Amino acid sequence: MNMDTAPWSPRVVRLGLIILLVFALIEGRLWSLQAIDGGRYLEMSEQNRLRDYKVPAPRGVIYDRAGHPIVTNRPAFTVSVLPMEVPDPQQLASGLAPILGVEREDLLARLEAGRARPFEPVALRRDVPKSVVMVVEERRLDLPGVIVQAEPVREYLLGNLGTHALGYLGEIAEEELQTRPEYRGGDLIGKSGVERTYDTQLRGENGRLRVEVDAAGRPVRVLSRKSPRPGHSLVLNLNATLQEVAERGLRGRTGAVVVMDPRSGEVLALASAPTFDPGLFSGGISPVNWRRLTADRRLPLMNRSVESTYEPGSVFKIVTGLAALGEGVARRDSRFECTGSLQLGRWIFRDLVVHGTVNFIKGTAVSCNVMFWQLGRALGEDRLERYARALGLGRTTGIDLPGEAAGLVPSSAWKQQVWKEPWYPGDTLNMSIGQGFVLTTPVQIARMTGAVATGGKLVRPRLARRVLAADGTEVMVFSRETEDAPLTLTPSALRAMREGMRAVVEGGTGAAAAVPGMAIAGKTGSAENPRGIPHAWFAGYAPVEGPALVVVVFVEHGRRGGEVAAPIARALFEAARPLLMPQPLGLVRP
Amino acid sequence: MRARWLREVDWVLIGATVLLAAFGVVALISARHGFADAGSFLRARALHLSLGALALVALAARDYRQLAGAWQVVYAGTLLLLASVLVFGDTRMGAQRWIALGAFGGFQPSEVAKLALVITLARHLEGVKSLPRLRSLFPFALHIAIPAALIVRQPDLGTALVLLAVLAAVLYVAGARARDLAGVAAVAAVAAPFLWRLLHDYQRRRLTAFLDPGADPLGAGYALIQSKIAVGSGQIFGKGLFSGTQSVLRFIPEQHTDFVFTVIGEELGLAGATLLLGLYLVWLWRALRIAEGARDRFGAMVAAGIAATVAFHVVVNVGMTVGLMPVTGIPLPLVSHGGTAILTTLAGTGMLLSIHLRRRPGG
Repeated sequence: MNMDTAPWSPRVVRLGLIILLVFALIEGRLWSLQAIDGGRYLEMSEQNRLRDYKVPAPRGVIYDRAGHPIVTNRPAFTVSVLPMEVPDPQQLASGLAPILGVEREDLLARLEAGRARPFEPVALRRDVPKSVVMVVEERRLDLPGVIVQAEPVREYLLGNLGTHALGYLGEIAEEELQTRPEYRGGDLIGKSGVERTYDTQLRGENGRLRVEVDAAGRPVRVLSRKSPRPGHSLVLNLNATLQEVAERGLRGRTGAVVVMDPRSGEVLALASAPTFDPGLFSGGISPVNWRRLTADRRLPLMNRSVESTYEPGSVFKIVTGLAALGEGVARRDSRFECTGSLQLGRWIFRDLVVHGTVNFIKGTAVSCNVMFWQLGRALGEDRLERYARALGLGRTTGIDLPGEAAGLVPSSAWKQQVWKEPWYPGDTLNMSIGQGFVLTTPVQIARMTGAVATGGKLVRPRLARRVLAADGTEVMVFSRETEDAPLTLTPSALRAMREGMRAVVEGGTGAAAAVPGMAIAGKTGSAENPRGIPHAWFAGYAPVEGPALVVVVFVEHGRRGGEVAAPIARALFEAARPLLMPQPLGLVRP
Repeated sequence: MRARWLREVDWVLIGATVLLAAFGVVALISARHGFADAGSFLRARALHLSLGALALVALAARDYRQLAGAWQVVYAGTLLLLASVLVFGDTRMGAQRWIALGAFGGFQPSEVAKLALVITLARHLEGVKSLPRLRSLFPFALHIAIPAALIVRQPDLGTALVLLAVLAAVLYVAGARARDLAGVAAVAAVAAPFLWRLLHDYQRRRLTAFLDPGADPLGAGYALIQSKIAVGSGQIFGKGLFSGTQSVLRFIPEQHTDFVFTVIGEELGLAGATLLLGLYLVWLWRALRIAEGARDRFGAMVAAGIAATVAFHVVVNVGMTVGLMPVTGIPLPLVSHGGTAILTTLAGTGMLLSIHLRRRPGG
């Protein structure tokens, strides 16, 4: 070998020596780890095992606007299992099923799902009674891998009240885990309502307990502890009294109620019927109850105030009326002939009633279809669409609830695309009275009514008021957010529309909403729909001078808005009297 | 000609490579033992090794000088590839290091970059006969700093550090003064506290966990404690293949990739671990010998660079497992699971063989 001919040779040799030296260092370390301390490490690996237990963070409390707690936590026990400690899942499932009162197959499925993370406890049943905890503790040696952990569960102080607004909890779904790395398998997460919207704030941060256990899995000592950080609490805008009145009004019916302060967007009540008991979800819902809730054809889990869309019917006449007034098609004193029908080419559109000669105010008060057909025909579908959108229809309101539907404002382009048909003049007539293709959510109608009441600003409806840390410091405060409507309503148009809506309640179709001594404006609707009996609507606000409350009542297949929805609204205005009457601006603030 | 090829090729290097790969397969089988996906891991490994063997033969048969020709293109391509990961890359385990490749899963450009940059750096250095001043190191530092910065952005701190270590080794072999290199290292040490602020939270946690595993035993220190227990409990001869205790082993995350050494340490003990380190030493000895006897400066630099890359990987990976180094997530060459890494290590071995076949007469 002729190595010293290359100038780099000595340096390569020295590099080799450095590498050799470092390898020797590692070998020395291995020697100390394996040969010298190996016995100790072997003992640690075989006899003493480390386990991490989750110490669940208490979830934040939810308060109403008066500061009274409505959702809290109550201490409870969870029976869990460490999958890696289970020698025979079949046998364990057979042994545990009768104790826990859970289906054996259900337990096996949970054990199987937990195998992906063998060192994380898998909750088998939450909120188990004390007697069951005793039995499990007694039989601990026959149930390898089974542990009992303290884990608080949700308690609903108002029972079923406000269920859809508050929401319920459930174990995070496997596919959700993929996108939300801060959550772990088995974590509870808000599935609906504000529990979902504000889950990040409410959940806090779990702590962990590192425990050394012996070969039988019994804790020997606690090695370290990381305390949980409790969740933030949430103060809502909900007024418990109004919420109760709203739900009482809907009892036995299918429908929704939204009560909102039009100035700020604060949602004082939000109800959907039929409702369900959120307590069923507290300890993880049982398969039987889950099947019952999901199989119910009236869909109790659905929040009808935001998640579902309906034909607005005559409530949409607020849009048609404002468009007509704003575009100069009609004025307050314009006269219309109502013969009970309207001829359009070869077709005759018929109404049930003949109103004779009416002005705009009277026509609105009696909800004269013929007048609004005439207005719609004069306006055309494009202008109707523009006003509907300007009033916030056809898009979500941005309320702090999950799953909000956008509704639908039709246009000729839309019809061509979806129905492959041109827009007919008859479609315009249908649209002008809120029939045909228009679809809205109750919360959209509330926002629209609020805009008319306050002068054209669309506010963002909000359930949440403040988020507070466990020590009481304010973490988030929600204030009024508005959306600038792309067209501004002239004062005279607004004045005439409001006067018309005032007349609706003062002896018009909405007379059943009237409260003595209170100036209320509104509009009723009886919306024909392809699924059966018409839907009943009432949308209104009070007081007329200085509006502080918008009330929207929707009753699915309620038939007549004036007869079914308006009385529920009256009860709400009545209940809100203390808020509205003494000093119109004096809403109670916590 | 055929006979000469058979006689001249470095059989010792090939033997060490084959044995290391076999070690890797055994460790993989043990690490995924009892998991439902063990079969798919083995199939993937077979594919990686076959592709790697093809690359090895192809590169050994070609004259390595042909690679020197287009170094600017290779360099630009490497930068482009690294930049594209940042744009199109898949995010796995919080870092964007992968480019999806359909049925092949994906590949890690930063692994390819290690080999490509050794070649471009060697070519860059070829014309430079001496490095008399600190200042003369600057162009080469820049040569590596640009791709290293891109890799840090992924973020993949470990690979970026590999590049810097290889740069230092190659510059040393190329003739840089030891005190210049030491000076740069000293400056880096002083700058470290400032760089600290640029690190991601998880990177900081890993580094502090290394300094004091007890400080955060629930988080980053956890893998470290568990891997030390696993390795230590193997004692002299290990617990036997496939009989590492479940309880401890299952505690270790990513056992078939970055922490694969724990399987060897636990199941084969000090004896198996020493055998593995010995195989690496044989491999490195041959690689450095090839560097020494290379026909030209380019070949010598490439060979030294490849040797330094493998050496640094082994030292940092094993060092991390036994608690000598922070957890950085770089693979154990030929043993950790990872297609791109295995492929590039075998390709590098092919280049070593090529340099050896075309060595100096008598070298």
